[in-house]
Amino acid sequence: MKTTAEILEALNGIFRHVLKNESLNLTETTTAHDVDGWDSLTNMLLISEVEKAFGVRFNFREIVKMKNVGDLCAAIANKMKP
Amino acid sequence: MSFISTEFACLFVLCFAVCYLVGQRFRKAVLLASSCIFIGYFHVGFLLVAVAVALFAYGAGILIEKTADRPGRQQVAFWGACLCLVLCWTGFRYAGKLTGTSVLFPLGISFYTFQALAYLTEVYWGEEKAERNVTDFLLYMLLFLKFLSGPIERPGNLLAQVKELRPATYPMMTYGAKLILVGLIKKLMIADHLGPYIDHVFASVHEASGVQLLMAALLYPVELYADFSGYTDMAVGGALLFGLRLSPNFDRPFTSQTTAEFWRRWHISLSSWVRDYLYLPLASVVRGWGQWGIAGSLLVTFVALGVWHGAGWTFVVYGLIQGIVIVWEQRTAKARNTLRDRLGNRLFTLLSQVRTYLVFALSLIFFKAQTLEEAFYYIGHLSFRVHSSWKEVSIGIPDRSCIVAGATLLLLLVYEHFMARGDVLQRLERQPAALRWALYYLFVFVLFAYGKFGTENFIYLQF
Repeated sequence: MKTTAEILEALNGIFRHVLKNESLNLTETTTAHDVDGWDSLTNMLLISEVEKAFGVRFNFREIVKMKNVGDLCAAIANKMKP
Repeated sequence: MSFISTEFACLFVLCFAVCYLVGQRFRKAVLLASSCIFIGYFHVGFLLVAVAVALFAYGAGILIEKTADRPGRQQVAFWGACLCLVLCWTGFRYAGKLTGTSVLFPLGISFYTFQALAYLTEVYWGEEKAERNVTDFLLYMLLFLKFLSGPIERPGNLLAQVKELRPATYPMMTYGAKLILVGLIKKLMIADHLGPYIDHVFASVHEASGVQLLMAALLYPVELYADFSGYTDMAVGGALLFGLRLSPNFDRPFTSQTTAEFWRRWHISLSSWVRDYLYLPLASVVRGWGQWGIAGSLLVTFVALGVWHGAGWTFVVYGLIQGIVIVWEQRTAKARNTLRDRLGNRLFTLLSQVRTYLVFALSLIFFKAQTLEEAFYYIGHLSFRVHSSWKEVSIGIPDRSCIVAGATLLLLLVYEHFMARGDVLQRLERQPAALRWALYYLFVFVLFAYGKFGTENFIYLQF
């Protein structure tokens, strides 16, 4: 079971890779408005990479309900519960 | 009954007066009756179709909610209802084309069908409760201020306000009146001064010179924006007088640096509709395909957005151009960032804004042309060539109209620039009364002196 900090660190790497922005630093309160290039077009790419990295699968409603990185961390942690 | 007609002014004033005379209890009934008169005035058939669609959506919403504990049945109810609405809309849209006859296309059907689809989807997703009060629901669907050309309202915004309908406060009323004035200025002092001459060039593509084709193509986005955003300002302003806040539809679209950004600022209620109810569900299904899945979803979404505007391949190509450009922008984001570093932010921003405008202007040739052949001919003959004189650059627009439209456009750009930095209309409210009223009188005088009256139609009425 990963901690929120570990999930956040992994997410940071994924976001940097997909959005091609090496200076990106995510926090739990980061939203799409705070990050250049994170919009409805790139969001699904990010989710797809996150799913591959953590071995989880979100349904559509779960995806659209995530409002910030903290929600994403919580959803990943929830899916990874034994 | 256009927004700019004596009949509409009478209906609006009468509805406003009666609404505030009868008190809270009958206010919704008065608004609904006014909406029915407004729609029925065009053609009683339009009213019947609109009421039938609204009542169908009302019943379908309740059915979808009632079957929530049986997912299979709920899915059938939801998809069946959506299919019926889409078939009804496409039936009216394509009946004339397919049968070769002139079938009357109900005004506003594209807007209220999409509104009904949004409502049913929200109920299906469990985000909204099905509405039980039929008056509230009919008012949400048929409200005359947004009936003809939107904004396409979500239940979370308009239906919630209709349910809790309160009289407008004094600041809401004054703000609404100012927005109506802004809308009238856009429509009567820009769009209607340019419209007839641009229409003439598009109607005689084979006779126009290269430079005339070029000028008409470059000016058409301005006309379309002034016309549609002018209509929206009047709709939003008018609704404020009744205590209702409609959704914004434009956010300085011509400052966009990319086509993707442009579609977040242009016809927002439609572009956010296709994003939320078409693109996102589609992209979530194919997200495993990576970039290809996103690109495919984008192309399907923008073709649908194009087809929403009308039957014909011209609208398919119009949508396809938007989709292809956005996919290209996605693929070249890194290269464009490098270019930004080399050119400097200011120059790159300006060039990007010009590029986005030109792409939109080019795509609008397909939007406005009658056939694909005509659109390709138009593009193939764009040039700086004249038939006989450089005066052709003006495409026949008289000097007076050039000056009025040009000066108003400049004023509009300044107004929007400052609006982005804080609400100018609200700031105006804090100025001394003498200054405010002098400005109001000045703008009303200028509107009557230089506005071009006599053209009642708005471009988006046809959709």
